Amino acid sequence: MTTTIVLQQAINGVVLGSLYVLVALGLTLIYGVLVQINFAHADFVTLGAFAAYFFMHLVGAGYIISIGVAFLVGAVLGWLINAAIFTPLRRKGNELLPLIATIGVSVMMQNLMLAWFGPIPYAFETPYSSQVIRFAGIYVSWQNVIIIAVSSVTIALLYAFMKFTFLGKALRAVSQDRETAGLMGINPNQLIMLTFVIASALAGMAGAMLAPVLVLTPFAGTSVIVKAFAIVIIGGFGNVEGTILAGLIVGLIESYTTQYLDPGLIDIVVFALLLVMLAIKPTGLISERREENV
Amino acid sequence: MITAVRALFVSVAAIGLLAVGQSAHAQDKTIKIGALFPMSGPGSYFGAQDKQGVELALEQLNKTGVNGYKFAVQYEDSSCGPLPATQAAKRLIEQFKPDVIIGEECSDATLAVMPIVEQAKVPLLNAGSSSIKVTEPGNPWTFRIMPNEVMQGVNLADNAYKRMNARTAVLLFENTNAGIGNAQVFKENFIKHGGQVLAEIGFGRDVNDFTSIATRVAGLGKIDVIPTYTLEGQGLKITQALAQAGVTKGGGGNAIQIGTIWLPFGFEQKAGKAALGYIRIVQFDPTETRDVVKNFSAAFKAKYNADPTHLNAHAYDQIMLIADVVKRGGKDPQSIRDGLAATKSYSGVTGSVEFDKTNQNTKMDTVHYMETKPDMSWTSLKWN
Repeated sequence: MTTTIVLQQAINGVVLGSLYVLVALGLTLIYGVLVQINFAHADFVTLGAFAAYFFMHLVGAGYIISIGVAFLVGAVLGWLINAAIFTPLRRKGNELLPLIATIGVSVMMQNLMLAWFGPIPYAFETPYSSQVIRFAGIYVSWQNVIIIAVSSVTIALLYAFMKFTFLGKALRAVSQDRETAGLMGINPNQLIMLTFVIASALAGMAGAMLAPVLVLTPFAGTSVIVKAFAIVIIGGFGNVEGTILAGLIVGLIESYTTQYLDPGLIDIVVFALLLVMLAIKPTGLISERREENV
Repeated sequence: MITAVRALFVSVAAIGLLAVGQSAHAQDKTIKIGALFPMSGPGSYFGAQDKQGVELALEQLNKTGVNGYKFAVQYEDSSCGPLPATQAAKRLIEQFKPDVIIGEECSDATLAVMPIVEQAKVPLLNAGSSSIKVTEPGNPWTFRIMPNEVMQGVNLADNAYKRMNARTAVLLFENTNAGIGNAQVFKENFIKHGGQVLAEIGFGRDVNDFTSIATRVAGLGKIDVIPTYTLEGQGLKITQALAQAGVTKGGGGNAIQIGTIWLPFGFEQKAGKAALGYIRIVQFDPTETRDVVKNFSAAFKAKYNADPTHLNAHAYDQIMLIADVVKRGGKDPQSIRDGLAATKSYSGVTGSVEFDKTNQNTKMDTVHYMETKPDMSWTSLKWN
């Protein structure tokens, strides 16, 4: 029985960690390239969740297609907001302006969603939510299998993109030294836009994956974003590998804290880890130098 | 002759002006009601449904007025939290200067607001906060028309043990005054009957995934009932996680989720078959045959093209009770406070109202039980 519970909580932790990783990856990408915290990231997650919900329920599409739609909605919105708000502010040369603007965008998006979708929680059920695989005392829903599969594929693709493609290498170059990258013929502004589009698309997709798990309201994303920030810090600001590792560790910590201590202690344990990391290894789990991030 | 005509004309004009003045004064006679509702955040479904009930009551009352008074409501978003609620209450009192305030829904928010209304000497009529601290040891300016956590919890524990033959329980609750308080009352009374509480699991409002909690519950052995105290959003996820873990009836297990008045109508349709067998207290039974209930349900359906929920009914009762006090002579904060305290067997849509010396409604006919059926509809259990 004990082994079963340990295994079951490990599965629960990996599922939760995968979701956190998807949310945190966008944050870490933007920080890695722009050295900017995007406070509106949570709202891209929420909007992705609603996009998937309405695409499923109004158009009658399948859940997997709805994940793709949320990805596209996130990408388009990321492009729009970066082009209309963040890029003009960045040109003014004051780093604080885009940072403050992300707070403004966040509040604006939350209230727009509140006006459009209302305050009452939505029940986002997929055909896979109630289908459960049971084996030797262990259970996992098909929804969670999809979460692990899609997260793994997305993380692998992102990793391959960053390491092996020209654009990925250019992004890393911009993150290391924007001015020198510009002298090498790379257009930093285009790559900043690409970063925003990828990060927002990932947030949208994370929303579609999270929606059946979390309570879907216009404020849904904010409930996971604090944990995602913690993961980015624990993993190493802007470090993709560190973020993945930290996300999974936080997911497992939550599961085992719930089982053996108390769910009310989850935040204490996670944020104690964050403080320990800041004290012992402020660069994060993997990162040594910021230049090596992304 | 000309002087006489002029005098007559002046007299008529004076009388006319006087009449216009009196008429204008009569139109100015307004009872100002401040509404502290959660309009944002996880408890915002309370505010949205409360507002519907208030608007229906205002529409009915303001057709004719009561004792020459019309009713005006100013809404403020109190967000189910102590800090936003205190800010909203101060805004209301300083700017709107209400004669009476209704709300909040969440106990933590109501408890934070109570000292402010007491200092301002404005009565607060609460319907949705269950913490015993709202009325114990008593605050002369705060009244509650719903049964408190002790009244509900004792009744729920009695029914779980005697009617449901439950002998083991696991308590799931949010870590708030109301969540902890409700769970403790159930625990004490269930144990007093001879029942056994296998675990008490509290969690924050930021918890989204309840799979780990359900796994822990599944490992606790045979469970008869799972009293659950949380807002709708988390409630949905808990119910679904417990079913997935095979703990509750909806997932093929034996345990039955039970609860007091936290969840709105429509919860079971959202939760799906995971909610099968869920038994909970609501404070409004639309199947009641009293005229006041039938009329309310019909008017609500006509206005919103939907069936009313207990939250709609709560808010409607709050306004109608204030109107009843105005009918009995209430016209300002002090007289409305006194009128509320003097209320005897007022018959509202949720049940009767009569306050004790702590300003707690003593009537238990406001407690109704409902059970979720296999087709996700519900039935009234008529346990009280």
